[in-house]
Amino acid sequence: MKKYLKYILLLTVVGGVGFYFYSNKPHKNMTKAAVEMQLSSIQLFADFENNEEEANGKYLDKIMEVSGKVKEISLDEEGRTSITLESGSEMFGVICQLDNLTKHARTNFKEGEEIKLKGICTGVLMDVILVRCVEIKA
Amino acid sequence: MKKIIFLVFVSVLFLTQSIQAQKYFTRTGNIVFSSEAPMEKIEASNQKATSVLDAKSGKMEFAVLIKAFQFEKALMQEHFNENYMESDKFPKALFKGAIVDMSKIDLSTDGTYAVKVKGDLTIHGETKEVETDGNIEVKDGKISATSTFEIEVADFKIEIPKVVRDNIAKIVSITINIDYELFKKKS
Repeated sequence: MKKYLKYILLLTVVGGVGFYFYSNKPHKNMTKAAVEMQLSSIQLFADFENNEEEANGKYLDKIMEVSGKVKEISLDEEGRTSITLESGSEMFGVICQLDNLTKHARTNFKEGEEIKLKGICTGVLMDVILVRCVEIKA
Repeated sequence: MKKIIFLVFVSVLFLTQSIQAQKYFTRTGNIVFSSEAPMEKIEASNQKATSVLDAKSGKMEFAVLIKAFQFEKALMQEHFNENYMESDKFPKALFKGAIVDMSKIDLSTDGTYAVKVKGDLTIHGETKEVETDGNIEVKDGKISATSTFEIEVADFKIEIPKVVRDNIAKIVSITINIDYELFKKKS
């Protein structure tokens, strides 16, 4: 009986540790995460504008590399930077919120600059919104 | 005749401009939801909500992307999206309603105004009428809105399995924090 007890104890500990790591698994490392698709901010916005449902199916949750011209840079109260890329629409854009778990090499982007960002597509409201973005150096 | 057409044209132009001037909007609204259950406190935030407020009628609308909510733990975020909110099927949450007592508020005078907001809240594809209290603050011509209210997840057909009953609350609290900008077209 004592022999089994040892194994049961071991199993419990292993299971417990496993569960701990499972429930505390980290967020994706956006610097290392593999890019699933590449496209321009204009293309991305156009696809959402033409058929939102189809675009949702195609793009939601995808880690994408979006290239485009910086239209606007904004800083929120918590110090998070968001970059709006040109979409071809006068009113709306592709908003990319920089990842707050990543140390960014720079956040001083300039209007009109061509940049590439990697981020996760979350859908469209007025603008297409990407979260957890990091810059990809040319 | 030409004069009349001109007059109509000018007044239409004027009218549309003054209507535009009365609308406020944001695309950087802050929404936090938190669930406090015996075993666990879960919180997620989203800084990319959009909202429009019509200063005259008090009508207001909110929209937020479910997938843009960010959690402390990756697994919580996964479960939230896949099991509870089914965000592939229902990517957005919406509110369409109005400030009930808009006539009491003078947006041209600084101050904090307690307001009642009533309207339809759509989460997880289910729409329910809600009523809540909020505050509108006017300071140096800038308008901000805050509100905290509670919703019952069962009202939106979100099922919480028994195993996690002690980890996820049946009633979650939602806090909204918005700084409005005057709506104008960028030239």
